Amino acid sequence: MMNKTPLQGTPTLELEHVTKVYKGGKRAVDAVSLRLGAGLLGLLGPNGAGKSSLMRIAATVTRPTSGKILFDGTDVVSRPNALRAVLGYLPQDFGVYPHLSAREFLSYLAAVKGLSARSARRRIEELLELVNLTEAGRRPLGKYSGGMLRRVGIAQALLADPKVLIVDEPTAGLDPEERVRFRTMLSDLAEDRVVLLSTHIVSDIESVASDIAIVARGRLLRRGAPEELLREVDGQVWETVAGPAEAAALRERHVISRTLRTADGVRLRLLSAAPPGGDAVRVTPDLEDVYLAVINGSAGRSLRQAGAGAGR
Amino acid sequence: MIARALIALAVADFRERVRRPAYAVTLLAAVGLACLAVPSAASRWVILDVGGYRGVYTSAWVGTATALAGALWLTTGGFYVVRDAIGRDERTGVGPLLAATSLRTPTYLLGKFLSNFLVLASMVVVLAVTAPLMQLARGESFAVDPVALLLPFAVMTLPPLALTAAAAMLFETVPLLRSGVGNVVWFGVSMAFLLAGQGRNAPLGGFGVRQAAESMRVAMAEQGIGVRAREFSLGLTEAKEPLRTFRWDGFALDGAFLGGRLLFFVLALAVALLPVLWFGRFDPARRLLGAPAAAEGAHAAGSAQEAAGRPIAEPQAPAVFGAVPASVARLGRVFSFWRLLAGELRILAQGLSRWWWLAAAGVTVAGFVAPEPTMLLPLAWVWPVLIWSRLGTQRVEHGLDGLLGAYPTPSKGLLAEWAAGVVLTAVTGVAPLVRMVVTADWPGAGAWAGGALLVPSLALALGVACRTHRVFQVVYLGVWYLAVNGVAAVDYMGVVRSGGLPAGPSPLVVAAVALVLVGAALAVRTARHATR
Repeated sequence: MMNKTPLQGTPTLELEHVTKVYKGGKRAVDAVSLRLGAGLLGLLGPNGAGKSSLMRIAATVTRPTSGKILFDGTDVVSRPNALRAVLGYLPQDFGVYPHLSAREFLSYLAAVKGLSARSARRRIEELLELVNLTEAGRRPLGKYSGGMLRRVGIAQALLADPKVLIVDEPTAGLDPEERVRFRTMLSDLAEDRVVLLSTHIVSDIESVASDIAIVARGRLLRRGAPEELLREVDGQVWETVAGPAEAAALRERHVISRTLRTADGVRLRLLSAAPPGGDAVRVTPDLEDVYLAVINGSAGRSLRQAGAGAGR
Repeated sequence: MIARALIALAVADFRERVRRPAYAVTLLAAVGLACLAVPSAASRWVILDVGGYRGVYTSAWVGTATALAGALWLTTGGFYVVRDAIGRDERTGVGPLLAATSLRTPTYLLGKFLSNFLVLASMVVVLAVTAPLMQLARGESFAVDPVALLLPFAVMTLPPLALTAAAAMLFETVPLLRSGVGNVVWFGVSMAFLLAGQGRNAPLGGFGVRQAAESMRVAMAEQGIGVRAREFSLGLTEAKEPLRTFRWDGFALDGAFLGGRLLFFVLALAVALLPVLWFGRFDPARRLLGAPAAAEGAHAAGSAQEAAGRPIAEPQAPAVFGAVPASVARLGRVFSFWRLLAGELRILAQGLSRWWWLAAAGVTVAGFVAPEPTMLLPLAWVWPVLIWSRLGTQRVEHGLDGLLGAYPTPSKGLLAEWAAGVVLTAVTGVAPLVRMVVTADWPGAGAWAGGALLVPSLALALGVACRTHRVFQVVYLGVWYLAVNGVAAVDYMGVVRSGGLPAGPSPLVVAAVALVLVGAALAVRTARHATR
């Protein structure tokens, strides 16, 4: 297990046994503990896993039912402004004032953040340039496309040069080229900041996250560096070509990672601790295999043992 | 098949509404209304006054008084409870799903009308259940006659409410009436309807007041009470002394009266179905529904834009996401309240057409030349009602709660929002103030200042607490209407004069109420934040 010690002067955000139970008894987050220093932590999980609840809790928007959140040692559940002053938060869904231009909207948010007028003006121009909305900056936000609004959201998250950046499904609405550039930017930002990125798209994380946490049903199932996680399913990923009947039987027995219909039959990539039979060949695992293994609990004992290290 | 779809639609819509917390509040309001309709014997505040007399609290009197009070107030207020049946379908995205099915437009409209009517009828049921309890509680007659008690609800309350349910449908399908303008228009329309419905020659028999009043006069004459020049008054009024009593056992229904009642329902069905001619089935290209609520989120933005029928944003070069900005984000030395206020003013006034400003300017100019300084103040302070009603609601309405929840100093944001409301109120009412200052009418200027603080405070408090524009619009219009009609007790503007001086409450009291309301808004938002 890799165990990062935060550099002196770099921020730390700690979640200690955080639980959120909504009205009606729905336990969205269940005793999650995470310690984050400078760097990018990718939070992976299926829809409804509790990722957004966890992100909202970390961003002080939602109060946990129990547990602590410490920013540089300060309890931000009782003193949220200690984190909010240095926080950039991009929720999964957010609204805008549709008749304000991007420039006016960001100016308003800068005033709410308490930025000085001069600093805000300069920062807004730079950020509009960053997200390539300088030209559109005077148009009302109600006339923006979903992707353009997402870029406004990214700009507002960076307004106050945050020490902690929490972004929830940030790439929705961005085109493929923008996704790549955005991920690179996040990676750069993570050099001396806490960056928490949540997604259910594995490719969003595998290229930039040095640290990955997998959650499901509100619980933190696994946490580790990509290479650590990959090692845990090494030898358990197989590829085989099967006929329709055999393919159906394999689907019943194993977690299928990919399916491709070819002229020779159905090419299946599956997870199995033991050889699944036939002419199956062992292949090198990728993060998608790890994710499926953890979520489906099919990686067996090795994963469960490694689970003890979750929540460093 | 059609009947099944109709019932399924109405029931689903009804369920969706009654499972909202606001529904419990409307039922509680109905209980309150039923209590008000049967005041204690010593009370001078009465609903039904037959020239200083009221009936002994028998089932017939209690049923009729409560049914008439229900007809009177639910006709106006019920509209605000039930409107939004179609708007909700559009906001939630259920509308387009239904539009893609074989459901016919008349069936859809009828289903929604039926749901509106069911909600109003459920409030009438609460009135009808509370009425016998009030009869027994007042203890003047312990003989409960179910027919005499319940029949008035069926023939006096439900028919006009069917029209209210249909009007709510109609308003929702007409672009201009669908917005807050519709709330204001309905207030005026329903006031006219209420006045006409109580008249001797009311169309279709009105609320049935004439039948009841004539029967009461006959009963009074039989009991030796002079009936000449005795006026029948329906509505909350303060009598000079507690009402004396007479015995009344109800009135007989004739065929013509019942026929009129049925015609109410027929008319309501016709009004509900009228939008078949233009209802666009949530087709953005037809736009007859008007623009939907503003983008609720980044994901929704694209679809909202399409739904609004606006051209989709021009293709935009992709974001660079290059080097992270190098400039330092410095916090201001002093908290930037003025910039925050400017931002809140911009948000409050966003999207206002130049016609709105032109009309406001016209009222201001007219205020400078009107014969009396405060003559046009009521107009100046009713014109911005739709803008004030945005206070406290915009964050929720535009889906910014999640984003701003992670921003610091929420209380300062709320105070800036309130200050923006005060600025708007002061600007729209500046002409009377200038004239009062010039003529050294300091009591008038003081009353003006109290009003300038009270209106935005009320809007903010109701907006934050209820998260909807409608409550303020209805409450404010009601208070404004009373003040304009000379009820000094609620004159927050200083327009009701006695001996040349404002006859309303002291400006200090008004200002204190305003501050309490701002405090309440702050407390509600802080509590919501604490229990987030």
